[in-house]
Amino acid sequence: MDQELPIIQIRNCLLVSIQTELHDRLALDLQAALMERVRKVNARGVILDVSAVEVIDSYITRILHDIGKSVRFMGAECFIVGIRPAVAMTLIEMGVELDSVNTALNLDLAMERLELL
Amino acid sequence: MKTVEKEIGAILAGTISSITQRSIFNRLGGLATTPVQQLTPSDRSTILQELENSIRLFARSNSAQLIAACAKALTPGPGSPAGPGTSAAPAAMAAPKKLPIEQEKDIATARLEAWSEAVRIGLSKFASVKVATAVSELARNIVFYAGKGTIELRSLKDDRGIVGLQIISADQGPGIPAAKLEEIWAGTYKSQRGMGKGLVAVKKLVDDFHLDTRPGIGTTVTCVFRGER
Repeated sequence: MDQELPIIQIRNCLLVSIQTELHDRLALDLQAALMERVRKVNARGVILDVSAVEVIDSYITRILHDIGKSVRFMGAECFIVGIRPAVAMTLIEMGVELDSVNTALNLDLAMERLELL
Repeated sequence: MKTVEKEIGAILAGTISSITQRSIFNRLGGLATTPVQQLTPSDRSTILQELENSIRLFARSNSAQLIAACAKALTPGPGSPAGPGTSAAPAAMAAPKKLPIEQEKDIATARLEAWSEAVRIGLSKFASVKVATAVSELARNIVFYAGKGTIELRSLKDDRGIVGLQIISADQGPGIPAAKLEEIWAGTYKSQRGMGKGLVAVKKLVDDFHLDTRPGIGTTVTCVFRGER
């Protein structure tokens, strides 16, 4: 089953809403597609909406981290938005770091911060 | 006797439109019109898998709670005429669940099962997410490193009435060599696919943790979550 996550452009930002189970193939495809789009549209930022993701384990964290890092290498900023309270508490307990990405409460606030950059 | 359709329809009402509900039930085929009490465990997991995917797709919010509520509605609990003489027994008396973990999609199923089990025995919302996360890590380790194995969920109750959930992850994979294990606990191990932090994460999340790994024979992780008082 081949699937692809849609990348939406809002002004000079790219938005991906993660609504499905991430696995290796999907994550790598997303990363590659995002890099390509960032270059093509001169995106200033990439926003990953994870508000539909109920559980973020160390594997998903690694994926987010890698995407954040590669976006930053391209000179754009990566924002993760919509981390649920229970997920945030769990990540803290797990001792996981997510320092290659910025976070914002929601899409609006992420856009606002990207405008200011 | 209530059918699956009726029971689940009542939960989804107001969140998922009736047109969408129709298509969800159509996909379930004959299972949708089966009375909840006549479901076999495998029917139940088929339905839940389908519902989980649909709810994630269509519900605007609260999908976790909806999925948990559906799981609860489909589980014959207190008050159901199934299980003679056990209708008044506390939820914690349920039989252990053993889930086969063989491919990536089993990770999501195990996570959901663990979540709904945690909710069912009365763990808090935060604790339930922790349970689901730990099971996710363990199931991933099985799929990535051992190929296949099982995850067993057992609800516990001690003499003071504090409930808990025991998770046993077992595989007959290659085991973890002592040198690698040392690196894992020291936090210096980096795997190809994850961060090499899965086991450390599980250990930090749970109340009791026990690892038994033998190179060439397999790995068993036994851990317990205790509910708050």
